[in-house]
Amino acid sequence: MNIQDNYLKNKKNIFFSENKDIETHREKLINIFENDRFDKKNNESIKNINLKNFIDFKYKYLIPEETSVINKNQENSYTIVSVNGQCSSFKDDKIEITKILDEDYNDFSKNDTIEHNDHFVNLNSLFLNSGFKITVKKNNNIKIKISNIITDDDLTIFQKNNYICEEGSSLNLIEEYENKNNSTSNLLNVIKLEKNSQLNHFLIQDNSPNHNLIITSHSTCKKDSNYTQKVYNFSEGYVRNFHYSELIETNSEADLQGIFFLKDNNICNNKTFVKHLAEDCKSNQVYKGILNDRAKATYFSNTHVDQVAQKTEGYQLSKGILLSENASYFSKPELKIYADDVKCSHGSTIGPIDENAIFYLRSRGMSKIAATKILISSFINEELSSIDNQQMSEIIQKKLVRYLSKVK
Amino acid sequence: MFLEIKDLSVKIENKNILKGLNLNINKGEVHAIMGPNGCGKSTLANVLAGKEDYEILNGKINFKDNDLFDLNIEERAQEGMFLAFQYPVEIPGVNITPFLHSAINSKRKRMNEDEIDNLSFAKLLKSKASDLGINIDMLKRSVNTGFSGGEKKRYEILQMSILNPDLAILDETDSGLDIDALKIVTDGVNKLKTKDNSFLIITHYQKLLDYIKPDYVHVMVNGSIVKSGGSEIAVEIEKDGFQKFQ
Repeated sequence: MNIQDNYLKNKKNIFFSENKDIETHREKLINIFENDRFDKKNNESIKNINLKNFIDFKYKYLIPEETSVINKNQENSYTIVSVNGQCSSFKDDKIEITKILDEDYNDFSKNDTIEHNDHFVNLNSLFLNSGFKITVKKNNNIKIKISNIITDDDLTIFQKNNYICEEGSSLNLIEEYENKNNSTSNLLNVIKLEKNSQLNHFLIQDNSPNHNLIITSHSTCKKDSNYTQKVYNFSEGYVRNFHYSELIETNSEADLQGIFFLKDNNICNNKTFVKHLAEDCKSNQVYKGILNDRAKATYFSNTHVDQVAQKTEGYQLSKGILLSENASYFSKPELKIYADDVKCSHGSTIGPIDENAIFYLRSRGMSKIAATKILISSFINEELSSIDNQQMSEIIQKKLVRYLSKVK
Repeated sequence: MFLEIKDLSVKIENKNILKGLNLNINKGEVHAIMGPNGCGKSTLANVLAGKEDYEILNGKINFKDNDLFDLNIEERAQEGMFLAFQYPVEIPGVNITPFLHSAINSKRKRMNEDEIDNLSFAKLLKSKASDLGINIDMLKRSVNTGFSGGEKKRYEILQMSILNPDLAILDETDSGLDIDALKIVTDGVNKLKTKDNSFLIITHYQKLLDYIKPDYVHVMVNGSIVKSGGSEIAVEIEKDGFQKFQ
């Protein structure tokens, strides 16, 4: 079924489809799919995958019978179980969680700055069927853990979440994606950090082979704010982690980190696009991957420094270990600098595990497999030891042990 | 015979490096091999330790009644062979203490000995490090990472003293060391010497042999040993160079 027929057939289940403005906008997006020849070479959003599989999908969405649960565990700590991308409303003096309502169409429908070149964001805008909005109120410091549950096979979740950290607030957000059913999640997180606010965003991805997870996030940082994203991907299904960041006011910062552990035929596509649009801002990116068997990964990164963004610091680093001759990791970090007083660098190293290090460790009595495992662990040691959340650290260590147990 | 190398020929990337090399080492002996750059000294050390880049064309090596070629790299180490590297590899993220603990226990396991527990190992490590003038803080760091040349060599000797090998091969351990560091390193080696272990010392210079007294000195040229004798050979080399042996 072509994209237009698919949309028209399921329109009644899609948010804001009665709204004329949105309808017009969606027609434009449909035209992009109708007219685009899907030039894989020049469009990072579709590298390594067959986009047709994602366009010719059978739309299926179930409004969850079981409503999501929000618990306030301790004074500043909340857990949320989001079911099929939905979340109940909740409000106290620190946070407010709201479902998507018709009057929110302006907040939820258009993604102008990142649409058009990103086919998956366009699909999200077209088929939006779930999502919620979380606001952390001024000067509050809170923790939220979200478990994302999908109830049935063959569901197609098009979800958009809006996060707003008000002035002086701090949010520690852990998101878990551990789905075992055959379904597709296309999630767009739109994150707004007001003055002097902070968001530490951890994403743990560990889905089964037939679950596709497409996550796009778009953060906007105002003065003195900081957005940190750490993604740990152990999924066996397809995963796409794209992040668009805009540093729009002075002294704001974006730290992006992605660590992925792939095997078999796993594919993980990563992309970042960081725009420095004000003075004295920093961005730092570290993407590391371990790839075994026939796994494939990409890392496309673009740091754009506007001419007004003097005293920018922008760093990009990607590293990969290929444990098999058939694994591949394609990395392309790019800097576009239009200001003259900046500190920026980019680097990329990908290759097999260091044979000299293996020999050294074995010459002290360690078996080859033990030496390989210790070198894999050491490769990501810096990132793992920087996790200051004990619970997160334990979860990741456990998953790492499971991954290493499959390395032969 | 403790180590017996018979007619060993080895090549790497179509280049013959060792050409019919013979060497015998008995228990309790210290042997030194001296030779010019590129004569194959480090190749011999690497082949003994089991590095897999080399092709063995001919010959046999027996070590403690084992055919060495039947043992892989770690089995050779567990059997008591130790190579102190000329250029120790930096391994960021691998902490020295657990690495050495794991190394000693893999050897004890092969010898059917009980594993050494954390506390006993910590005590052993601390005492050996102190003997070699190694700061305890260094043991909290990653293997060889950010170490100076002297620190790397001292750390090699620390590993050797912890693992207490039957045969230690020192591949140009003196290179890059100042006189004080050389003394610390050689003191460490001398403390380890017993009637039950042996040393094969590879060096360019006689200086190292002023501190570690060899029982035998061999001159290696173009992939084979061309002369063997006592310490007087080292003196002869120091005076006249290797030219006369080529």
